[in-house]
Amino acid sequence: MKRGEAIGGMVLLLFGMVTIILALRMPIGTFRMAGTGLFPLCLGIILMILSGGFILKVFFQSNKGKVKSVSSVESPGLPMVLILFLGTMVFIALFFDKLGYPLASFILMVALLRILGVKKWARNLPLSLVTAIACYFLFVQWLKIPLPKGWLGI
Amino acid sequence: MIESLQHLINGFAVAGTIQNLFYCLIGAIVGTLIGVLPGIGPIAGIALLIPATFGLNPTSAIIMLAGIYYGAMYGGSTTSILLNVPGETASVITCIDGYQMAQKGRAGPALAMCAIGSFIAGTIGIFGLVFLAPPLARAALAFGPPEYFSLMVFAFIILSNVTGASLIKSLMMAVIGLIIGTIGLDPVTGDARFTFGSISLLSGIEFVAVAIGLFGIGEVLINVSQPLEMLEQRVLIPRLRELFPSFRDLRNSIAPVLRGTGIGFGVGLVPGPAPVIATYASYMTEKRISKHPDEFGKGAIEGVAGPEAANNSACQSAFIPLFVLGIPFAPPTAILLGALLIHGVSPGPLMISQHPGLFWGVIASMYIGNFILLILNLPFVPLFANILRIPKKILLPLVILFCITGMFTVNNAVFDIWMMLLFGGLGFLMRKWAYEAAPLLLALVLGPKLEVAFRQSLMISHGDFGVFMHRPISMIFILATVIFLIIPVFRLVLRKPKEISEKV
Repeated sequence: MKRGEAIGGMVLLLFGMVTIILALRMPIGTFRMAGTGLFPLCLGIILMILSGGFILKVFFQSNKGKVKSVSSVESPGLPMVLILFLGTMVFIALFFDKLGYPLASFILMVALLRILGVKKWARNLPLSLVTAIACYFLFVQWLKIPLPKGWLGI
Repeated sequence: MIESLQHLINGFAVAGTIQNLFYCLIGAIVGTLIGVLPGIGPIAGIALLIPATFGLNPTSAIIMLAGIYYGAMYGGSTTSILLNVPGETASVITCIDGYQMAQKGRAGPALAMCAIGSFIAGTIGIFGLVFLAPPLARAALAFGPPEYFSLMVFAFIILSNVTGASLIKSLMMAVIGLIIGTIGLDPVTGDARFTFGSISLLSGIEFVAVAIGLFGIGEVLINVSQPLEMLEQRVLIPRLRELFPSFRDLRNSIAPVLRGTGIGFGVGLVPGPAPVIATYASYMTEKRISKHPDEFGKGAIEGVAGPEAANNSACQSAFIPLFVLGIPFAPPTAILLGALLIHGVSPGPLMISQHPGLFWGVIASMYIGNFILLILNLPFVPLFANILRIPKKILLPLVILFCITGMFTVNNAVFDIWMMLLFGGLGFLMRKWAYEAAPLLLALVLGPKLEVAFRQSLMISHGDFGVFMHRPISMIFILATVIFLIIPVFRLVLRKPKEISEKV
């Protein structure tokens, strides 16, 4: 986990650095009359100091062989199920307007249920359909929330 | 005092209208469901339902959202007792003896004592609010920008100190939250910052997207990353042999409930994740002063009643800093602050005098909400138990669908869905690498206030940082912050020689 911890620290260090670079492009002003960039600049510097300290801590602890696993979940890499799950959500976000709410919610349910193991169509399809219809009536018809109509036009 | 009591009675009149009672009931039931369901906790739950309150007046909206908050706390206790799965972090302590009681067929009395203990705590707590809130509001009028700045910094340090495994990681998350909070328009000059030409980013990152992403989507993704067989598992609910506590249970519980109420109320007033600390402090107190401490961990009702009362009491008194100072000390109240701002109400020392109907109405509704939970939840235990029987592989897609729908309704923008997914991914990685999300969310909500207080303080002092030390209230907070930062370092330094001597 030492590598993971160090990478996490590096990412945060980089984030702090980018914040400083972007903040320096804004007017900084003085402490008496702070400009737009002063507060983010201070934050970027604090983040760099903290993450730098964190990387050093990880480095020294690992040299002593003391680093224990801090991960709350132990799994080698990203499982396929998770990638498919994320992919489905991204697909729905991409086509949310075009598909419209009823169709998007139906497709989302069918795909996610199948990914998580509800493989029998006789169970998956009715479950997804009932959910999509119930959500449509709850949010669109009853609560009158203006959700995208999409191709179906409803 | 008499004036406050009169306001409270008026508050009951506000909360007692059919409309507000209805929203209180809905909030309590939905909150309990949120607390019971896996993959969605009180923070994501409140955030998700903020759009549903857009059509309501601010009082009804906050009554419903506050109902979700304490309903979720109760729901979390239900899963702790029945399944040994804490619905949210404050219920971890309830698992210890609550689950043991359930194993012995005494889930009913455990659940009943949760509700009764919470109700008693709520009843006493409401008088605490009546006594304390108005004088504290008057005292808070002495707060200027330097005091607000120091208090907020103190709140971050405490929250970072007590949550998560590593202080430095939590502090980094708080700074990240502050940086994300600077995206959008500069609160003083109105210039755009970190928007990269995007119009959607001008109004800043929607905090609802961050809350649902980190706490809702992130949690679902953690569940999905586990082996599929775990999602198939159906839980076995222990049978409820008896539903009501015996006279002996009640007699044994009354003192722990009263002590828990006191502990919870005090803890709720100071920065930090109050319910978590309060439940822990109450449990340890009960165990220490008990005549039979060996029964703790084996199903002692005192270990359920005390912490549950402390939990409720802390939730209630946590509303005081929110309403009186306008500063939430933990994520759930931070979300409520966001909701108040959306509804055009800016909490602060003048809120009690400017919006008495809202303040006292919400306080009264919390009491009514507790009563509703007391009479409704026990008969509904079998229903909640059945909901728990639904396998996760069906529940998780439903949670995602609700998250996407709820997120879109905030601004009717797909951009917010993208933001939610982005923060969902981030939340997953943070959970995986043991980074705490609570400081990030609190910092995001408080960020603009902190920046304004910082800049105003330095403007007042002509750029002199001494302003934070010259004013007594601010100095106390700064000194307390320094102490809390030094303690972990001292502990580390003291531990090392000990470890070395042990090895030798």
